Amino acid sequence: MNRIRFARWTCIIEIAAALLIANGAYAAGKRAELDGVWILLRADIGKLQLTPAGEKLRAAYDFQKDDPDFQCKPASFTRIMHTPSPPIEVRQHQDYVEINYEFMDVKRRVPIKKGLTAKEAPYAVREHPHLGKSAGQYEGETLVIDTEGQKAGVLDTLGVPGLYQSDQIRTVEKLIPDGDKMQIVVTHYDPVYLVQPLTVTFSYLRLPDGKIMEWGCKPEEATFERFLPGTR
Amino acid sequence: MYRQFAAATMMVTFLFLNCAEGLAHHSVAANFDQSKTLDVTGKVKEFEIRNPHSQITLEVTKPDGGVEDFYVEWSDKNALMRRTVPVDKIRVGDKVTINVNPSRRLPNLGYFRTATLPDGTVLKDCGFAAYRESVAKGTKITC
Repeated sequence: MNRIRFARWTCIIEIAAALLIANGAYAAGKRAELDGVWILLRADIGKLQLTPAGEKLRAAYDFQKDDPDFQCKPASFTRIMHTPSPPIEVRQHQDYVEINYEFMDVKRRVPIKKGLTAKEAPYAVREHPHLGKSAGQYEGETLVIDTEGQKAGVLDTLGVPGLYQSDQIRTVEKLIPDGDKMQIVVTHYDPVYLVQPLTVTFSYLRLPDGKIMEWGCKPEEATFERFLPGTR
Repeated sequence: MYRQFAAATMMVTFLFLNCAEGLAHHSVAANFDQSKTLDVTGKVKEFEIRNPHSQITLEVTKPDGGVEDFYVEWSDKNALMRRTVPVDKIRVGDKVTINVNPSRRLPNLGYFRTATLPDGTVLKDCGFAAYRESVAKGTKITC
């Protein structure tokens, strides 16, 4: 009997130790590990609860007419990250972080300055002011980016097709290092279209020796219209 | 016990890698019927490797003898390059058979699955999930 109990306790301790090791590896992620080129493993979308206004817009969404992709316009950082194949690059500097998204050639600069709010920050992507203004800070080994000032329009066309954002939206991204994996947990707060904050968790895998390539999107090559008779 | 734990970890990793496939093809799934396939035979009129999607235009002969264009969408240029797909084997003027998932909206559009070339070579689209798996395993793919 005692031997059985001992074996059971041994099993429990082994499982607990394995879980602690796994958990410890996660917690051991260092902020320096955020640097690199990353490809998307998966995206998990949290509970979506739209206001009647958000529901109405989503019901009316027509991807052929309303998807900004067809004009080579990145709708939002969430939309960009939902595109599975083009990777993203993170490079940390003394007082700013650059995040380069291969999709649509978006080059984002996030200042890291104590006390700086997103509203006071410059536009994160000079060529695309509709993406808003971002300010970053570290919370331990996690990089937290606050974004405000996004223009009203389509927020997502892939993960949640037809999700709209108002100009009151605020977005918080947490970049969490984990060795050769990284998570970006994005939370959208939008009092106009969301009943409760919407969280999307992007899981990334490091792309060894990866490089960001030119995307070079041209509207005439991206539009859906090109397939319609008489348009070529 | 450790073997079981390792097996469980491998299973979780496998599921983790596979879960992303649905997302990887979300827009493709929305626009193309992945439950159906169609063989389209024709002459390669144009082949443009580009972003956000590459495109092959096939000149297809209709039963009445007339000719019409059929468009085949494929992965973005950067993905094809990273996956080292030998796209240069597809040449303008060649007669090829391309197996596609047909468009949900347009009769003259499909999404690339395989291409059978004049010499019998078959090019395959493994998709992004296979590429991601190859990165995780440190292996190479050519599809």
